[in-house]
Amino acid sequence: MKVEATAYGDRKVYSVGAFNRGVASWLARLPTVWVEGEVTELRRSARWASVFFTLKDPQDGSCLGVSMPRGQFDGLRLELADGDRVHAYGRPELFEARGEFRLRALSLERFGLGDHLAALERLKKKLAAEGLFAAERKRPLPLLPRRIGLVTGNDAAAKRDVLTVVTTRFPPANVLVAETYVQGPRAAGAVVEALRALCREGVDVVVVARGGGSFEDLLPFSDERLVRAIAACPVPVVSAVGHEQDTPLCDLAADVRASTPSVAGRLVVPDLTQLLERLDRSRSGLERGTRRSLERERQRLDRAHERLRRAPRQLVERGRARLDQTAGRLRALSPQATLERGYAIVRAHDAIVRSAHGLETGERVEVELAEGGFGARVEDTR
Amino acid sequence: MTFEEAQAELEQIVHRLETGEAPLDEALKLWERGEELYRFCKERLDAAEGKIEELASRAEAARP
Repeated sequence: MKVEATAYGDRKVYSVGAFNRGVASWLARLPTVWVEGEVTELRRSARWASVFFTLKDPQDGSCLGVSMPRGQFDGLRLELADGDRVHAYGRPELFEARGEFRLRALSLERFGLGDHLAALERLKKKLAAEGLFAAERKRPLPLLPRRIGLVTGNDAAAKRDVLTVVTTRFPPANVLVAETYVQGPRAAGAVVEALRALCREGVDVVVVARGGGSFEDLLPFSDERLVRAIAACPVPVVSAVGHEQDTPLCDLAADVRASTPSVAGRLVVPDLTQLLERLDRSRSGLERGTRRSLERERQRLDRAHERLRRAPRQLVERGRARLDQTAGRLRALSPQATLERGYAIVRAHDAIVRSAHGLETGERVEVELAEGGFGARVEDTR
Repeated sequence: MTFEEAQAELEQIVHRLETGEAPLDEALKLWERGEELYRFCKERLDAAEGKIEELASRAEAARP
């Protein structure tokens, strides 16, 4: 289409209508495509030829106006509600009268269970590849949390289950509850906000609890923003969402997964009674151990004392034994043994006579025998 | 010191005392330290008063 411009000197100027027509004809050349988004602001009136709604990107919130011929829309009987995810088949168009850009939809399909499952699987693979679910990321829960954050819906059951178990097991527990949407298109963002608010208030563990529900009900808990927020939470998170068989992605990103809200309650606080018993056992151990150490030292001291006491007597005995031994050796060396064999000792002038030389006839000598002795006179010498 | 740390240290001390490895003056020091840790843990459990608050009402109360 030729778009006419008016010349002002060397400046080409388009009228608004001509400009819009020109852009519209450009847009019309673009191909027909599928666009995915969440339906919001649905406007339908019997007086209008078209139905209008806005498609919203759940990831970044980008918006796209959509129009669809009313007859076609009604024929699909989709009964769309705010937040429902759809695939719209159409091409971009410009509403020339207002210069508004939008998608002219020719067909519309509800994002079905199969699509959800496939999308979930893709997201799961992507986040797993980033390491968001890795075991080494999991943090241990504090044994004795100063303050517990609880994100829950205003549905009484999940909240009541967590609080009952927590206060029964550990009466001094301090819990900060953030009630929020846990279902519908606002849930994911609301839970993320609640998580942040609890962390700002200062908690050292967070429980995200939601009772069971349909697959669609639990979808917000597999929302990428929510899953990332849980993984990035500065304190450990316990996820108790849905029933045992459900595995929303938040369960995988959480530090601990609890099969039910009650189990989550048991996980975040210790049993006070058991804790006190353990503490008391430690204390008895402390006394017993110290007493045992004392006892051992006392026994060692007693043994040392006993040895000390026995030492002098041992010394005397040892001396006596040595003396006896010496005496024996002494006796072996004495002349007595020789005398017993028949020898005799002769003394003259108190000296032992070893030679006849120097003895004089008639001189008195003393003779000593093994038994007794006698005096004698020298008869002659040789 | 957290409760966990105190409890872990207390149990370590008890173990050391029960094996009877510690010489007497160390044993006495350990015992003193153990009693101190026991008191700390006990106080942490006794002092806390259970409390359940709603975040929304807290936020409202915080407003002037």
